[in-house]
Amino acid sequence: MFKDLDPILHSQLRLAVMSLLIGVKEAEFTFIKEKTGSTAGNLSVQISKLKDAGYVEVIKQFKDNYPQTICKITPAGINAFETYVKALQTYLPK
Amino acid sequence: MEEKQLTEQESLQLIQQMISRAKNDFVDTGIGPILWGAVITLCSLVQFCIIQFNWELPFDIWLLALIAIIPQIILSVRERRERKAKGWDDDIMGYVWLCFGVGIFLVNFINNVAADTLHPVINDYRELTGKTDAPNFWTFGTSYLLFVYGYPTIVTGAARKFRLMTIGGIVCWVSALISAFSETKVDFLLMALSATLAWLIPGIVLRKKYLAGKNA
Repeated sequence: MFKDLDPILHSQLRLAVMSLLIGVKEAEFTFIKEKTGSTAGNLSVQISKLKDAGYVEVIKQFKDNYPQTICKITPAGINAFETYVKALQTYLPK
Repeated sequence: MEEKQLTEQESLQLIQQMISRAKNDFVDTGIGPILWGAVITLCSLVQFCIIQFNWELPFDIWLLALIAIIPQIILSVRERRERKAKGWDDDIMGYVWLCFGVGIFLVNFINNVAADTLHPVINDYRELTGKTDAPNFWTFGTSYLLFVYGYPTIVTGAARKFRLMTIGGIVCWVSALISAFSETKVDFLLMALSATLAWLIPGIVLRKKYLAGKNA
């Protein structure tokens, strides 16, 4: 039986962000932008959606006098990602 | 990348692609292992020549290892500053190698204190018995050092799934065992071999991988 896919994760850029963050402890906004090849504006909007869902934690700080945004996946985000991958597997031909 | 709905197949491909991209960013630059592998190999080989061929140097060759700490600190600070993402095991690996640095200092310090204490006794024994081939303390001192070399190398190799480094670490431990029974000059050859296999060669392999990933 097919399981429902989390609508928050089932979109290209948000899933890309979560897939990057699952493999690292934390990443700078510029790292995510570079790896996903997205625009800063679009990425910012999608990260905000993930943050509102409680899937990522966003830390704004200063590094060498420049603003720096750090993103971390939360335990809820890890659970959601795992559930999403398991749900995806039900759609694959066996 | 745009905001769009995905098919299930596309989702899986995207996950794999992104995980792989993040992973590629965590290839070590290799400079640290190359630096320490080269310095320890060189110092050990020169120490062997000092014993075997009676070389005389105006300074202690092991001072090179002390001086190498300076570029290592500069490299570490620069790499940390340039890195835009932190891996799950970065902090743990940092602590492992920090403990290694402190461990090497402690073992060297204790070895030197033990050598200073035991050498007068050994010298008296040589004079009294006329046995000039009586072993000196450093015959065993190198065994402790080789054991300490192996520890973080095996942990790093196993954690990063880098078999070449794990094998290098095991060579350090096997050398530690052999050096307990071999002459001091042979111990330094074992140390050179261990440093080459544990750090220098894995460092060169890492560097090649890093440069290949950077140019890709």
